[in-house]
Amino acid sequence: MRTVQFTPEQLAEVRRLQALYPDRRGALLPVLHMAQDAFGWVSLEVEEYVAGLFELAPAHVHEVVTFYTLYFRQPKGRHVVSVCHNLSCHLAGAKTILDHLRTRLGIEVGETTPDGRVTLLAVECLCACERAPMMQVDDRYEFDLTPERVDRVLEGLR
Amino acid sequence: MPKLTIDGKEIEVPAGTNLIEAARRVGVEIPHYCYHPGLSIAGQCRLCMVDIEKTPRPTIACNTQAADGMVVWTETDRVKETRRSIMEFHLINHPLDCPVCDQAGECWLQIYYMRHGLYEPRMTDEKVHKPKAVPLGPHVMLDAERCILCSRCVRFCDEITRTGELGIMNRGEHSEIGLFPGRELSNPYSANVVDICPVGALTDRDFRFQVRVWYLDSTKSICPGCARGCNVEVHTNRRRPHHAEGRRVARLKPRYNADVNRWWICDAGRYGYGAVDDKSRLRAPSRREGEAVADATWEEAIAAVAGALERFPPDEVGVIASPRMANEDLLALRRLLERRGIRRVGFRVPPREPGDEDAFLIRADKSPNTLGAALLGLDGAVAPILAAARAGQVKCLWVFDHDLLAAGWDEAEADRALRAAETVIFTGANANATSERADWVLPAAAWVEREGTWTNCEGRVQRFRQALEPLGQALPEWDILGRVLAALGVAGVPPRAERWFRELAATVPAFAGLSYPSIGDAGQPAARGAA
Amino acid sequence: MTGDRILMRNFDRPDSHTLAAYRATGGYTAWEKARGMEPAAITEEVKASNLRGLGGAGFPTGTKWSFVPKGHTGPVYLVINADEGEPGTFKDRYLLERDPHALIEGMLIAARAIRSATGFVYIRGEYVEPWRRFGAAVREAYEAGYLGQGFDVVVHRGAGAYICGEETGLISSLEGKKGWPKVKPPFPAVRGAFGMPTIVNNVETISHVPHIVNRGGAWFASLGTRTQGGTRMFSVSGRVARPGVYEASVAITLRQLIYDLAGGVTGNGRLKGVVPGGSSAPILRADEIDVPMDVDGLRNAGTMAGSAGVVVMDETVSIPEALMVVARFYAHESCGQCTPCRESTGWIYRMVHRIVEGHGRKEDLDTILDVARRGAGTTICAFYDGAVGPYISYIEKFRDEFEELIAR
Repeated sequence: MRTVQFTPEQLAEVRRLQALYPDRRGALLPVLHMAQDAFGWVSLEVEEYVAGLFELAPAHVHEVVTFYTLYFRQPKGRHVVSVCHNLSCHLAGAKTILDHLRTRLGIEVGETTPDGRVTLLAVECLCACERAPMMQVDDRYEFDLTPERVDRVLEGLR
Repeated sequence: MPKLTIDGKEIEVPAGTNLIEAARRVGVEIPHYCYHPGLSIAGQCRLCMVDIEKTPRPTIACNTQAADGMVVWTETDRVKETRRSIMEFHLINHPLDCPVCDQAGECWLQIYYMRHGLYEPRMTDEKVHKPKAVPLGPHVMLDAERCILCSRCVRFCDEITRTGELGIMNRGEHSEIGLFPGRELSNPYSANVVDICPVGALTDRDFRFQVRVWYLDSTKSICPGCARGCNVEVHTNRRRPHHAEGRRVARLKPRYNADVNRWWICDAGRYGYGAVDDKSRLRAPSRREGEAVADATWEEAIAAVAGALERFPPDEVGVIASPRMANEDLLALRRLLERRGIRRVGFRVPPREPGDEDAFLIRADKSPNTLGAALLGLDGAVAPILAAARAGQVKCLWVFDHDLLAAGWDEAEADRALRAAETVIFTGANANATSERADWVLPAAAWVEREGTWTNCEGRVQRFRQALEPLGQALPEWDILGRVLAALGVAGVPPRAERWFRELAATVPAFAGLSYPSIGDAGQPAARGAA
Repeated sequence: MTGDRILMRNFDRPDSHTLAAYRATGGYTAWEKARGMEPAAITEEVKASNLRGLGGAGFPTGTKWSFVPKGHTGPVYLVINADEGEPGTFKDRYLLERDPHALIEGMLIAARAIRSATGFVYIRGEYVEPWRRFGAAVREAYEAGYLGQGFDVVVHRGAGAYICGEETGLISSLEGKKGWPKVKPPFPAVRGAFGMPTIVNNVETISHVPHIVNRGGAWFASLGTRTQGGTRMFSVSGRVARPGVYEASVAITLRQLIYDLAGGVTGNGRLKGVVPGGSSAPILRADEIDVPMDVDGLRNAGTMAGSAGVVVMDETVSIPEALMVVARFYAHESCGQCTPCRESTGWIYRMVHRIVEGHGRKEDLDTILDVARRGAGTTICAFYDGAVGPYISYIEKFRDEFEELIAR
């Protein structure tokens, strides 16, 4: 059972971020991103640890983590595939792309493949409507999707 | 000071007054949920909308400060229609739990729906479901479906107790009041969130399913739990004695007092009424002969006590009064001591555990009238009285309320003192190990069964009032002591608590000029410098 | 009628995001000029330009800057709203990726005007590449000595919430809390981020400022309509031949935008409806597109310029399905703080979903319309009004499509 703790370098970065804001609480979202990168996902233990770094009541960190969509409260796959299903992507056939991914990966939206490779999500507008249908894979956007393009992207995910 | 007009009535208010408070001053009550005068402004419920001239749309009153020349209308057709709309929004996902919800009868969804709603519901889709009957802590139960997310409870924990246990998690219609998973709502004031919750989302576990609120009577009183003297309402159930497990006192609620406790009370005080209906209540005078205990009449008991006081020289009598006694009781006791020249008297019995104290309301002194007893000149040392009893110098001991065997001194020594005395008299509402050693037990009425005054730690004299009839033959201490005085030949013994208080005001400088009317519901400070 | 290509002039250069490329095309000369101007003079120039907020609200920018209380001696914060999230809109993504220095230069000038020493750039959490691009530009600007000489920039990533595009929701999020919009008054210019006067402006709005300073407010005003100056970047998507971002005078008509710039309607080639200003803007029918795309022009047409996110729908598009998708968006993004929005966005989505699935009831349409009308204008922020835009306009203008699904 790994203990949740930042390295001295990471802690120094936390303090640096906190100092950028008139109230150090402003650094909470960036530090939660840091924690997610460092520990893989935001567990309750991570929330309590971060709360301690800010001297915040843990309930208020929990509020933040449960409010925003980018903090994962359960382990996620090595890759996160987020398919936009908002207006322009819907008009361009987002449903077909989602159905294709569900078939290819063998999971439902919101789930992770059993081998831990991919978490599949359906998300709201990613603001790339001119290249719809599209999806976000980890840090990058993949545009102008067709089932074939989707397959090529999936092949590149290990 | 801004001058404004509300519903045609002109009024001047201090700068910074919001429109809900301003309207109250002209007798207009603007409906609202999230606003609370003791908490920050949230502006979330949207119910307190009013029309303000020169403003195109209705505006929330809680976040609008009174301005000079402002003209406010609270009952226009548009405001009424807006309230009806907001009521509908509040009830879209609200579960129809009224038949099983403790809040029924004092629920602000019910009340405002009847006043401002009265529409035909049209939400026939599935309501959003959330956790129900979740214990948040030892005293508070959460039903997240009933919650209207007014955030009063969150703000209370952030701003009043500064413990931050509660938050609103998730977003949108999945928003939910909650704790950090695995933690508890356990600050010493936790149950105040039940008072401020407008609906049945946060309910009192102690009161859960006990009795319907419309069967309750309410009496203004003072909490006896410590020297703070928080103002309370005593809610009693007399109409449905088969509910609430036969308890007559169903619950306590804090009563607003700007100078003492504002809107709040600690949990210990709120739940500290158990002794009133406990099995240990003393209901009749009784006399012990050897191992046998027999009931006696008041005549017999009074005669025996008066006789003992006359028989023993004053120096052989020791009196341990109680700082839980009312000012009126203590004056009666003082008269009795003066009558017989008894000088061995005290009231400070050290507790076994030191009392907890905080920077908010809770005081380490767990008695409501320590200051009153001191002002009445009864502050002698108690340990020497017990030592004198052990040494045979004090032969008659009269103990009020205390259990000397559960105090902060050696129990065996205290026991020896009680056994050594020839005559031990006990006066109190509840039996304890000391009363079991007494030769004569005189049952006292509990604090909710009589009226009187206490003086709190800041010198505020406050009235507590009678909510119930005394159990059995129990009597207030001023009455017991008054009867003993009469038996000793004293004429003109005051027949009522208020008359005793008048004598107090005339006798003790600290109470000069005070009266029951002047004390009223908010209390009155004793004279300065006299403490 | 396309006007100058001002904001997008360098977009086709592969190195357009670099300091070198920016300086090579006149970058940071406006800042040099602004440094010799009085703060009030800068604000006056922006007022004269008729520049209006391009994130969604369309508020006159110079007027907003002048709301900072005179005589305030503490910090003033400049906050850039890069939380682009309005469906149909993607212009800020292009600006952050292809011309980040324009934003930095605009920030320097705006900061001088409002006397701010600290700027926060709030970038939506999903925009990771734009965040990296912009961060690199900020580092270049520090190294070149533009930043760090009386004005600092803090780049802040969001974490996924559309409501953080609402200026006070953004402020709450910047403060490390949930993105709950704040009750107004007080307004941010008086009391905003961390309790201090704060001006929140959109990426594109501020990117115009260097040009206004260099070429004058009157010039900028002359490019637009009588009440709104300049050009803006229109995000065009949906059933059009050439979806993409197009810069044009705000006076351009919707017809010109769709047919002259974006290549016309695809699908079956016949237009059914257009959303002109992001999903919150009421939909226009095919016979309503001869309308100038400026703030007042679109308001007079019963819709809004918003974020200029133009979504084109041809006759094969099911309007009830489109409304279901949009209603699902608003239900998902409602922050939950105030009652009308929290309780009705989910319910309305479920009603529309029922209708699309064939389980609609006769009274559903009028219930949706009535509930939406009752909630409009009663909430803490304009999010709900943005939801009401599509709820009411889609049903009112295409009622027969809904009724047909219910009748089946």
